[in-house]
Amino acid sequence: MAIKLSKKLFRKVDDENPFSLKINFKEKLIVILLFASASAAIVISAAIIYTLAEGSVDFFTDPAVNIINFLSGKEWIPSGKNPSFGIISLLSGTILIAGGALIIGAPLGVAAAIFLTEFAGEKLRALIKPIIEVLAGIPSIVYGFFALMFISPILRDFFDATYFNAASAIIVIAIMLLPIVISISDDAMKAVPQHLRESSYALGATRWETAIKVVMPAASSGIIASILLGLARAIGETMVVVLAAGSVARLTLNPFEETMTMSAYIAKVATGDIPPGVAVSAGFAVGLVLFIITYLINTLAARVVLQIKTGSSYKIIRSKKGKKKSFNIILTKLTTIKEIIIGIAGKTKIFILRNLIRVKKQKRLSLKKRYFRQKIGITLVGGSIVFATVFLAILLGNILTEGIGGLNLSFLTSFPSRFPEKAGILPVIMGSIYLMILTLIFAAPLGVGAAVYLNEFAKDTRYTRFLRRIIQNLAGVPSIVFGLMGLTIFVRIFGFGPSLLSGSLTLTIMVLPIIVVATEESLRAVPNSFREAARGIGSTDWQTVRYHVLPNATPGILTGIILSLSRAIGETAPILFIAAVFAKTIPSNIFDGFLALPTQIFYWTTQPKAEFHIIAASTIIILLIILLVMNTFAIIIRYKAQVKRKW
Amino acid sequence: MSSSKKTQNPEPIKIKKVDVFYGSNHAIIDVSMDIKQKSVTAFIGPSGCGKSTLLRCFNRMNDEIIGCRTEGEIIWNNINILDKKVDPVPLRRRVGMVFQKPNPFPKSIYDNIAYGPRIQGVNDRKTLDSIVRKCLKDAALFEEVGDRLDESAMDLSGGQQQRLCIARALAIEPEIILMDEPCSALDPIATAKIEDLIDKLKKKYTVIIVTHNMQQAARVSDYTGFFYLGKLIEFGETKQIFEKPVEKLTENYMTGRFG
Repeated sequence: MAIKLSKKLFRKVDDENPFSLKINFKEKLIVILLFASASAAIVISAAIIYTLAEGSVDFFTDPAVNIINFLSGKEWIPSGKNPSFGIISLLSGTILIAGGALIIGAPLGVAAAIFLTEFAGEKLRALIKPIIEVLAGIPSIVYGFFALMFISPILRDFFDATYFNAASAIIVIAIMLLPIVISISDDAMKAVPQHLRESSYALGATRWETAIKVVMPAASSGIIASILLGLARAIGETMVVVLAAGSVARLTLNPFEETMTMSAYIAKVATGDIPPGVAVSAGFAVGLVLFIITYLINTLAARVVLQIKTGSSYKIIRSKKGKKKSFNIILTKLTTIKEIIIGIAGKTKIFILRNLIRVKKQKRLSLKKRYFRQKIGITLVGGSIVFATVFLAILLGNILTEGIGGLNLSFLTSFPSRFPEKAGILPVIMGSIYLMILTLIFAAPLGVGAAVYLNEFAKDTRYTRFLRRIIQNLAGVPSIVFGLMGLTIFVRIFGFGPSLLSGSLTLTIMVLPIIVVATEESLRAVPNSFREAARGIGSTDWQTVRYHVLPNATPGILTGIILSLSRAIGETAPILFIAAVFAKTIPSNIFDGFLALPTQIFYWTTQPKAEFHIIAASTIIILLIILLVMNTFAIIIRYKAQVKRKW
Repeated sequence: MSSSKKTQNPEPIKIKKVDVFYGSNHAIIDVSMDIKQKSVTAFIGPSGCGKSTLLRCFNRMNDEIIGCRTEGEIIWNNINILDKKVDPVPLRRRVGMVFQKPNPFPKSIYDNIAYGPRIQGVNDRKTLDSIVRKCLKDAALFEEVGDRLDESAMDLSGGQQQRLCIARALAIEPEIILMDEPCSALDPIATAKIEDLIDKLKKKYTVIIVTHNMQQAARVSDYTGFFYLGKLIEFGETKQIFEKPVEKLTENYMTGRFG
């Protein structure tokens, strides 16, 4: 780029020749800036890897640490006389919670997606979609509060669970996974060509049979990708686990006991519950492991998604010889078992067994029975949507009833206090607003610039593909890892300290991929004929983008920015390292410390006194109202643009 | 022609004053005709004349299109199959359909054919094996793919895929087979194979075929209906339609005087 530019700078302009290349320095500079903002993703990724590597090196070079012990040890005791760092117990906690959440969440999500694509119809779809968007928009700290304050007591009453327990986190994370699983499965099933459904109907299949036996298998790779992405999300989830599952690492598969995950340990480091020294650098080593695991899962999922986009997924389903063989073996075994059982049971009540074991069915299924199955099936998949809706209603209802009493003018205008009845959240609200403004200032130009470069200027080179992959990977990094990075890079190396600046820069990095994806999507929606028309009348590349593409993509870009900011304002984990514990004053400049709404909710929820839980719920209400206002703005912009749009 | 077997043939399928609307678009206008069973009837006409729409009435596929409305009667075995009280699911089991583009399911060859019987509860492997074998033979595909039934149907050639779709339709043991331009996506060799197959099928089945290709209609069908702008212009024995059309419009179309 730079070499090309200098060559052109020294080229003489020939006034006689009307087609001579005039150097437009401004335009070149703009393209370079756009290129730089896209390339920022590489710097960010490098910074994350540096952060994790540096901390891990500190950790593994410590005399108290032994790498074999780290990988195979079963005890995780970070403090005390004889610290022990065996990641197996953290891994088992992570597997218990993420696996448990997936076992509940994946079937629910896939079922809901089946209902949505195959049975809901236009109107019902328009009603259900917003519910799923609300589920996706609720910050994880709110889910965590709900897990600890509502789900956990129920489990304590009915299952003799401990105060902190894995099960409450599992249930809530399962619900948090739904939006991811539903939206990606839904996309995959919608992409199944209509003619496959038609040929199934033409063979006399019911809608249910078509959905289960044709649509679902044809969309299987997309469904698998959705589950993988859900798994990565569950593994990286931090706040719910920290609040509800506890902080004692132990090797257990009992969901009613306390347990700790990898992300939860990092969060413990952030909140200062861990003695400085090797226990803190252990957080970075755990972060590295967490990063690698989620990276692998996300890469796998991305590969599956790519196969769907290129259409090769239909070709993957090849011969299943191996499968069938084993299936036949199972079948023959089942038949022998059946014979034995029948021998034993004699002639008594064999029909019960017939339902349990696959028996040769020579008779055709009656239509009545097939419709009955359809009815049951639709009830089940529809039920999963009802379940999600009821869950959402209980969650919102619970928080409203808990927190409404704490809401009054003095709560909004006072400072936090050690006494719940005097506490207020004025500096916290201001902290969140400042944080959001700064994030907007940093993230919007960077993200939009990167997307404009990738979509309008970049050629399909290796470098561009690399950039795209890096941005995609950034989107999948667990938020707590961004926290580690912000701590090392901004707070320590740049010397910004635990300030608004460090916090907003960290959030910028977190929301960057969201803005890039949203912007690219709306740029792609601008028809190519606009660009061709602009070039056809002699516009330069930048003029084309500036006057013909960007204006038409603005509503979409604005919506994306607002939604990503609403994500930023609700995030807790990345700024847990940076935010203050107690806000005495309203921050007056960017180097001041701050406290944001989600971090304040976190600290009040972890207080033992129940009065603090009430004001935590009140703060959640404020946070949800802010999110509601922002999302309403985004919807209004989107709607107005749709009405105005003439293409 | 099949006139010699008249005694064993059941009543013809009676189409009485059928109208089809897509929203405000009147796609089929007052069509009445009798379709003889165990013979091949071709619907011909220019694009958009409604021939496919009428074909899709026979297995109520138009029900799947939002905003599509059908009036009139199609009487088959004394039942009006357009009646709202007739459930399209069991109807479609007796009316197979082959689509314009070969559309096998992304499953193995075996599973494609076994799909229809399976949804009706046939689970026994031996029964399924014999159904698959028989249908592949009937669709003249067994020799080509008999040794690789476990392979994906997506790996077959276009002509093989289309014959697989015919075999899949045969597996549900239909009485009527609808073919919506079954050869339009195929090369001449594959087309010849399908046409041979249609000729064999009419011994057991009532075949209704929509085609753009007039030579094909002349080659494979016993009766031909010519449609224009949603109306049935002329209907009769294929020989008569092609050699001595009554209507001027039909003659113009046959001789290529309009497209």
